[in-house]
Amino acid sequence: METTLLLNTFTFLTLMIILTPTLLPLLSNKLQNSPTITTRAVKTAFLTSLVPMMLFAHSGTENITSYWEWKIITNFKIPFSFKIDQYSTMFLPIALFVTWSILQFATWYMASDPHITKFFSYLLMFLIAMLTLTIANNMFLLFIGWEGVGIMSFLLIGWWQGRAEANTAALQAVLYNRIGDIGLILSMAWLASTTNTWEIHQTSTTTQLPMLPLLGLILAATGKSAQFGLHPWLPAAMEGPTPVSALLHSSTMVVAGIFLLIRIHPMLTTNQTALNTCLCLGALSTLFAAICALTQNDIKKIIAFSTSSQLGLMMVTIGLNLPQLAFLHISTHAFFKAMLFLCSGSIIHNLNGEQDIRKMGGLQKTLPMTTTCLTIGNLALMGTPFLAGFYSKDIIIENLNTSYLNTWALLLTLLATSFTATYSLRMTILVQTNFPRTSVTPAVNENNPTITSPILRLALGSILAGMLITSYLLPTKTPPMTMPTLTKTAAITVTILGIILALELQNMTHTLTQPKPNTYLNFSSTLGYFNPLMHRLSSTGLLNHGQKIASHLVDLSWYKKMGPEGLAILQLMATKTSTTLHSGLIKAYLGSFALSALIILLST
Amino acid sequence: MAITHLSFYSAFTLSSLGLAFHRTHLVSALLCLESMMLSMYMALSIWPAENQAASSTLMPILMLTFSACEASTGLATLVASTRTHGSDHLHTLNMLQC
Repeated sequence: METTLLLNTFTFLTLMIILTPTLLPLLSNKLQNSPTITTRAVKTAFLTSLVPMMLFAHSGTENITSYWEWKIITNFKIPFSFKIDQYSTMFLPIALFVTWSILQFATWYMASDPHITKFFSYLLMFLIAMLTLTIANNMFLLFIGWEGVGIMSFLLIGWWQGRAEANTAALQAVLYNRIGDIGLILSMAWLASTTNTWEIHQTSTTTQLPMLPLLGLILAATGKSAQFGLHPWLPAAMEGPTPVSALLHSSTMVVAGIFLLIRIHPMLTTNQTALNTCLCLGALSTLFAAICALTQNDIKKIIAFSTSSQLGLMMVTIGLNLPQLAFLHISTHAFFKAMLFLCSGSIIHNLNGEQDIRKMGGLQKTLPMTTTCLTIGNLALMGTPFLAGFYSKDIIIENLNTSYLNTWALLLTLLATSFTATYSLRMTILVQTNFPRTSVTPAVNENNPTITSPILRLALGSILAGMLITSYLLPTKTPPMTMPTLTKTAAITVTILGIILALELQNMTHTLTQPKPNTYLNFSSTLGYFNPLMHRLSSTGLLNHGQKIASHLVDLSWYKKMGPEGLAILQLMATKTSTTLHSGLIKAYLGSFALSALIILLST
Repeated sequence: MAITHLSFYSAFTLSSLGLAFHRTHLVSALLCLESMMLSMYMALSIWPAENQAASSTLMPILMLTFSACEASTGLATLVASTRTHGSDHLHTLNMLQC
């Protein structure tokens, strides 16, 4: 059986099916796009993308295909090459499955929107850009996909453009992504000038690479994947509609930065400093996001911070030199995070736009399907044994505990794991249990199959995906097999501690204990004071500095004071002293005449 | 320096200083001007007598003529200033003062 041919054909077919709904309206005036066409196209693409995945799982077929070469400079080749390897073949079906479910959900969620077709075409364009990024073997194609997802993220976050907060959030996303792009372009320039290629498979060396390109790539991942330092855009991006949050900011776009690091992993392997940077940055991000999620009251923001925390965990895995595990976590995380967002979308729409969990409650009886899947998603997120999250999270934490690394990073990650359990359980308890705290009785109804079937599909994925992926993929590095019992059960122990903490907090709510504003509460609820500090200080500092240099220094000082006005002042000094002599009286003139005659006499 | 030179130089210098640093009246300036003329006349007269150069004996006569014109101009200024300002005080000549 010609496996490479089948692999190539079906991958190409998948990409063509994805492109069809965007190309059809351009061909003829009668063929109009519609949400159902887009959903069906993505579903078909998912089914065809299963073939390369199964081919890879069965026989390990990998492929690099170059289609066309952009001949712009003679000695620098830019081929459009696609790499179909373990990461591409696994990510394609997962991304398409999640997108299919989200699109099906969005036909109900955005049903009252007059521009729903444009919304779906935006989501499709985003998907095309993301898939380009995934299968790119070339930094150039990857950059095209990178920028594409950035632009579509901007357009989709600001979908409700009448809202000022949505516009500022979209702008924030673009600006933070741009700072990351500086790093990416820096690395691309370094690669082009030093190694004369943009192909990723040609950059792996045995010697240690210098820090500059690696730092650039880490900066790119920090910007796109919302690590600490460039993270505020991710919670702000929740201003977009829930399908956008589910697709972009949970499963696909934010993992693009981590995916980049996975792709260029051979470059990172030899440089221990870069790996340590990834480790510490990831540990800091995961703990910071988990702390911020503890005091959030908006359901979407809790899930956003949870995404940020899991991205930090993926970065930690990269720092441990385990790209395959990071990819496994990306895959399993996509399922349960998208499902959490879809459940929250169903809850929000059914409660007529209520997003505050303090005003929800008792939804277990009125929205049984949604809340059950919410619970499943939260359990998978916490790493409950043998759900999807367990297969990736537990093995990452085992590797963390048995590696020779920075203890501080290890402690932070364990603390973040326990906080994950805390905020997930807090969200679950406040949303589902007890009596309803909504202001008026909303008409909750989830009997629509467009709501329930995507959520159920993703729930099935959250339960089974971990097991399926680990059964069929062979690990490239040996996992740690022997460790003490406490180390083996470390993940589950800290999770249980987090659950106990959440139950204690819930007891506080029952006994109506008012939380006093203390330092830690302030730190957590203002997101670590990062937003006001950075957004105001850095911009005022930059503008001040710019004003000082451009206006004060150059314009006022050098052009005026050193130039004409300075000359005038010097002249004024001389004239002021000699004005007293120019009195218009004859006596003074005669005196000066005598003085000059004396001087001439004395000098000759 | 010979005694004649010294005396003529010092007379001339003292007169010019007197012209420059007079205090109140214009007529004192004119007087100093006349004494400058006098010292120059005497110097110019003794000069050809000392050198026995006969052709330069004309010079003091020429100078005298011009000094007479200039003295008359000075006196006319004095009279004009007395007519307009009532005295010949120097602080009345202040048209240029700002």
